[in-house]
This record gives sequence, C-alpha cells and structure tokens, in this order.
Amino acid sequence: MSMESTGGVSVEDPNPVRLRMVDAAIGFDPEQPLIEGLNLEVRAGEIVGLTGRSGIGKTTLLRTAAGLVKPLSGSVECCCTSTTRAEKGAIGLIPQRLGLVQHQTVGYNVLMGALTEASFLQTALSLPSKRMRDETREVIDEVGLADKTLESVNRLSGGQQRRVAIARAMLQEPDLLLADECLGELDAETARGIIELFRHMAEDHRMAILLVDHNPVRARTFCDRVLQLRGRRLIPFDEDEESKATLPLIEEVGS
Amino acid sequence: MSESRLASSLRLLARRPVLRAGVLIGIITLLITNHLQITLWKLVDGWSNLLVLGSEALPPDFSVLTERAGWTHPPCTFESDFLCSPAVVGMTQTIEIAFLATVFGMIISLPLAAMAASNLSPYWLSQTTRQILAAMRVLPSLIWALIFVIIVGIGPLAGVLAMTMYTVGYLGKLQYEALEGVSKEPLEVARAMGLPRWQVARFFAIPEASNALLSQMLFMFEYNVRHGSVIGLVGAGGIGWYMNHYLSPFQLYDKVLALIIVMFVVVVAIDQISLRVRRGFIDDVNELRRPRWRDILISRDPVKTDSN
Ligand SMILES: Nc1ncnc2c1ncn2[C@@H]1O[C@H](COP(=O)(O)OP(=O)(O)OP(=O)(O)O)[C@@H](O)[C@H]1O
Ligand SMILES: [Mg+2]
Repeated sequence: MSMESTGGVSVEDPNPVRLRMVDAAIGFDPEQPLIEGLNLEVRAGEIVGLTGRSGIGKTTLLRTAAGLVKPLSGSVECCCTSTTRAEKGAIGLIPQRLGLVQHQTVGYNVLMGALTEASFLQTALSLPSKRMRDETREVIDEVGLADKTLESVNRLSGGQQRRVAIARAMLQEPDLLLADECLGELDAETARGIIELFRHMAEDHRMAILLVDHNPVRARTFCDRVLQLRGRRLIPFDEDEESKATLPLIEEVGS
Repeated sequence: MSESRLASSLRLLARRPVLRAGVLIGIITLLITNHLQITLWKLVDGWSNLLVLGSEALPPDFSVLTERAGWTHPPCTFESDFLCSPAVVGMTQTIEIAFLATVFGMIISLPLAAMAASNLSPYWLSQTTRQILAAMRVLPSLIWALIFVIIVGIGPLAGVLAMTMYTVGYLGKLQYEALEGVSKEPLEVARAMGLPRWQVARFFAIPEASNALLSQMLFMFEYNVRHGSVIGLVGAGGIGWYMNHYLSPFQLYDKVLALIIVMFVVVVAIDQISLRVRRGFIDDVNELRRPRWRDILISRDPVKTDSN
C-alpha cells in the first residue's frame, strides 16, 4: 500500500536529471556552430567537469545551459522545462568574471542569492527577512569571509571575490549550478577549500554542478566525470589522448 | 594667365579639405551676417549705450540684500529684513525650485531610464522610452516654464513643473547611458536566476551604477540652480522673477547687477560644494573630472560632460 511496499518501483529517482541537452547545436552563427550534436545529462549530486582549449565554446555552453543563449537547434532543458523558461531560482550561474555587483558590500552581494525566494513585498521594500539575513551571514562564514561582510567587493582579492560569488550561489541553492573557471589563478590550498565547498553542495544539497576547469588533471581529482570539448564535439576526457597531443608540443619547446 | 591661376587655386582647394571647409564656412558666415543685417557699426553705436548702462549699473546697489521686500511671492514672514530681502528670497526660491525639480525628476527618470536601457529592457520598450525622453529634451526649460505659467499661473509651482520636465529628459538620458555601461555578468547572473526584469534593474544594474547616478543627480541640481535663475524671467518664480521686477518697468540696473553678483557667488559656491560631495562618494577619484574655471563660468552641457 505504502510507497516502500511496492518495492521502489514508483519511488522518486534519487538522482533526477537536472540538465539535459539533446542533439543540441550551440553557438551564435547557425552556419558555423561552435558545438554540434551535443548530448549531455547532469544529475543531482553530480559534479561534471568541462575542459577544452580557450575560445572553443565552454563559456558559451554554460550560458546556453543557463538559458542566456538559445541553442541553434536541439533542446536544452533544466528539470524538464526549457532553460530559457526555467523555474525561478532553479539555475545558478557563476560567470568567468564572477558577476559581482561592483561598489557594493560582500553582504549585499551574497544576499542577492536569496532574491529568488523573497516575496514581492520583501523585494519591493528591500526588506530581507531575519532568516535571509541569518542565512547570508552563515554562508559568508562558511566561505571564510565573516570579517569582510561590510567590505566593498572592489577591495577584496581575486580569490576572496571568487568566494563571494560562490557564497551567493550557495545561498541561492539552485538545482543546477554552472560555474565558469571557478578555480583559475588560485593557489592550491584555496582551490582545495573551494573544491570542498562544491563537493559539499553536490552531496548535501543534491545540486547538479557543471563546472569549467582549465586544468583537466585537477578536474579529474574531484569531478565525477570530466568532459572535453574538441573540434566541435563534446567527448569524455581521455588522459592518454591528451598527453599524446601535448607531448610533441613540449618537445618542440624543449629543443 | 589669370585663368590658369584660378585653375591652380581651385586645384589647391580640391586637394585640401580643411581649406575647402574653411572657405565654405567663411562664405556662409558672410551671407548670414548680410541676411541678419549685422554690421560692426551697430556694435560701435552700442558702445555708448554700454557706457550709459555702466554708469547706471555701477556701483551695484546691494540694498537688495538689506531692504525688506513687501512684494515677495509668497509673502515673507521673517522678522529679519535680510531674510526677506529680494536677493535672499529670490535665491532661496531658486534653490528650492531646483531641489524639488531634481528630487521629482530623479523619482520619475530612474524607472524611465531602466526602461530605456537596452541591456535591461526589450527593444521596443527601450526605443519607445528613449523617444519620450528625447521629446522632453526638445524644449529648453525656459519654454517649459512659459507653458506651465500659462497652465498653473505665475509662481514657483510653474518653475518646479518646468524644471522637473527638463530634468527628467536630461537626467533620464544620462542615467540610461550609465546603466548601459554596467558590466553584463551581474545581469546574466540575475537573469539565469530567473529574476524579473525590474529586479535585475533594481538590485543589480542600479546599485552597480549608483556612484554615477548620484554624481549625475548632484550635477543636475547644480544645473537646475543655474538654469532656474532664468525661468523667473517668464514668471516661474526664483531670483529671475525679482530681476525682472527691477528690469521692467523701472530699469534699476544697479539692483539688477547686485542680484546677478549674488547669484554668481551662490552658484559658484553650490558648484564647489557639490563637487566636494561628489568626490566624497566616488572611491575611484579618476571617475570624476577636475573642476575647471571655464566650466564654472560657462554653463555646461550635461550630456557631454557627465555621461561617464
Ligand atoms: N556574444 C557573442 N557573439 C558572437 N560570438 C561570440 C560571443 N561570445 C563569444 N563568442 C565567440 O565564441 C567563441 C567561444 O567563446 P567562449 O567564451 O565560449 O570560449 P571559452 O571556451 O569559454 O574560452 P576561454 O577558455 O578563453 O574562456 C569565441 O570564438 C568567441 O569569439
Ligand atoms: Mg570562457
């Protein structure tokens, strides 16, 4: 009678698909798409890494997944609706240049993550509830910026700014988080801290995370899967393939 | 012989575009002065008038600061004669009109600017709003004042309404340009979150542009004080109204000159204070232009100077 007694047949999938791209072509010019025949599924609780050389279309893929760019063909869905009409707060984006609101404080920027669950009155009057403010303080604490809450983001270091953007996404708690080069130009220890935050979000909050990392070897250490853009295709990352491709280059430079 | 010289000078003209433009402008200038019947003789004749004006205006009669004016509008109720003098009452009114017009103008123009910014609004809406703002800028504030004096009668209300119209048109343009200058990443974050347009503008674009917006608002206040001095000439309140009172029919040029001096001092002072304040909240000092005497003496076109 109850759900358990049916033997799990109608039990909800514990890892539902959060991002699904089916036979999608991505880019700006229909004649020359950046990526073709793109099939990709990212499930809740999963971290998927994306690599590829500069200018190949990683950012464009993420922006398409976020519904900011329309796919040239095929379908791009988040939780079963087209990403351009995704439910409010379902998608979180951390752009390559972070997208913090300049000249505003850390607290302000992080609080923006709570906008998706704020009522109309709260936003119209700009009066966040006590719970929102408490949660904001909590996530700022979690990324280790408690003493910088009232500092303008312009006065933070690059790594600190990155943590502000991550805290904003943590507060938003999207179903699907898209993070563009979140680990670039960070020292190993800070990068490790941020990776832990991502793992924590994926595992404890059942987020689906698609992130771009320039360093495929590092990505393999913490992602569940690493994909690679090559030519106009999205393919699984193959380390041997990669080393074969890069070795001659290293030799050339060396000689 | 002469033909070849003509030909060679024509060839010279053809080769030098700057020279060609100069000759063309010179010819047009001659034609226009002829058409308007402007001659140097009128200036020479005028010289004697200037001497008469000078002898009547000098020395300036600063009793405008000490004598109580019983004819102020609205009536002045202070005890002190100074506070009820035409200069103080007029200048205060001008500043008050400028203040109200700036506040009302800002309240109206900010939502309009968000609608006009192409990065915050759909194409049709931004184009429509731009046309509305442009239409408000077509008429100078003096003409708006004339219109509102006809509608609501002589007095400061007409001035406030006129300056507000003008402020919305100009401030709106400055603001949507500032809003279009904000970086696109924060807006994309907000859009990916699925926030409605007004929240993208309210919480992401406007805060990011806030320094520019505040600085523009103060600039607009200065501008309104300067231009608010003029609109009184058509009866829309402020110091211009008191100037007009002395000009016609009495032609008391010494009092008018005193009023002009008072106005000059106050406007320069307000400009300086406003610059200080603006520097206070712009953390990046380079965002602000240094004040120059030329700008203080000659009224500035806000569109060119402060659009950042
Ligand atoms: N708005 C746009 N309109 C047209 N072309 C664009 C636009 N944005 C990016 N492109 C082009 O798309 C290509 C891919 O850009 P994209 O930013 O996706 O690369 P990327 O893989 O993220 O590179 P990087 O690693 O350097 O960030 C580039 O050639 C770029 O010039
Ligand atoms: Mg990129």
